[in-house]
Amino acid sequence: MASDPAKQLERNARLLQLLARTALKDQQAFAELYRAASPHLFAVALRILREAAAAEEALQESFVNVWHHAASYVAAKSQPLTWLTSIVRNRCLDQLRRREIDTVTLDDEEEGVTVAAPGPTPQELLLAGADALALKACIEALEPGQRQAIALAFFQGLSHAELARHLREPLGTVKSWVRRGLERLRACLDRAGVTR
Amino acid sequence: MNLGERESAEALAGQYVLGTLRGKARARFERLMRSDRRLADAVRGWEERLLPLSEALPPVTPPERVWKGIVARIRGTTTAAGSLSLRGVAWWRGLALSSLALAVVLAVALLKPAPELPEGSLVVVLAGPDAKPALLASTARGSRYLTVAAIAPLTLAADRALELWMLPERGSPHSLGLVSAVAPGGMVRIALPAAAEQALQDIPALAVSLEPKGGSPTGLPTGPVLYSGPVKRLY
Repeated sequence: MASDPAKQLERNARLLQLLARTALKDQQAFAELYRAASPHLFAVALRILREAAAAEEALQESFVNVWHHAASYVAAKSQPLTWLTSIVRNRCLDQLRRREIDTVTLDDEEEGVTVAAPGPTPQELLLAGADALALKACIEALEPGQRQAIALAFFQGLSHAELARHLREPLGTVKSWVRRGLERLRACLDRAGVTR
Repeated sequence: MNLGERESAEALAGQYVLGTLRGKARARFERLMRSDRRLADAVRGWEERLLPLSEALPPVTPPERVWKGIVARIRGTTTAAGSLSLRGVAWWRGLALSSLALAVVLAVALLKPAPELPEGSLVVVLAGPDAKPALLASTARGSRYLTVAAIAPLTLAADRALELWMLPERGSPHSLGLVSAVAPGGMVRIALPAAAEQALQDIPALAVSLEPKGGSPTGLPTGPVLYSGPVKRLY
């Protein structure tokens, strides 16, 4: 979505207002909120779930959730789009968890993990997202393995086991890439004063 | 809490937001997070760091059936239990609390000739989502009327009306009537079903919705809620 800071501020203010009105059960505001945020959130769900039907279901459940819980959104604590994204991502990760339980017996026979999705690769996305946020330096400071593992986990919802299979690396290695990568990212961002 | 604990809380929160915390561990973490403020804060920090990255994704407009499904699923909840839930009111309460001082000042100014608010007054500042007060409703113990004054100019299409609602603790909103006629600086008097202290006894908030001319055809709010505010008892 908007990468220009002024546009981003304007968009956030708009989303904030729509969320506030949704909390008051204003259906028109809710419809507008859906129109404004759903293309972004649907893209998030599609990437993680990799199936249109599953992504549609996750989006639908998320918005039903937003309708009921808009009042629990606390403006001071996170940006509106961040809050909405966290709802959709959690819903998607829940679906993946259920899928994992369903397919646990098939897991050993699975040859590799398909992560193909149209458009930019997770790594390109990570850098593009960082670009918009001026976090590029922190993302670039990650080791290539760390960056790749984090990008795949974040955008495609891969688990440690799936990362290991996809990257053809031992489980222990990808686990430590993720852990160290996150640590390094946090240290770098905190130094840059981007977050607390 | 020692450094090691803080580090591991941070690490778990990071994995949770990244999505690599899975299965039972994820469910357990979610349970812990609900009661552990430190974990919840760590998660929020990671959400701030990571989630904006997803804005790089090219947006994809979902098919129309998704929205239709959402509407179908929330419709049941809006007609059965009343379309204005208390959650909304609770959210509002905090916001409007700060307007109370202003409300008193305005009430004194508007409710001439009363030199000051009598004992047992009830005041409701109705404001929009921008938190700007638009209407002021007030009454006093024993009174059968609610006085509604416009604080800001209201623009209203000719075929629309503003309807005032009581939002009870439980159950559906109850209409108090139309307040469309109120001009800035002017006021309207609305009859209450009982004496103020009784009529508004279990009413934590009032709201104004946009309705067709003549008011809601269904007896429940049908249009957007434009203004709302908590009932303040000054006794």
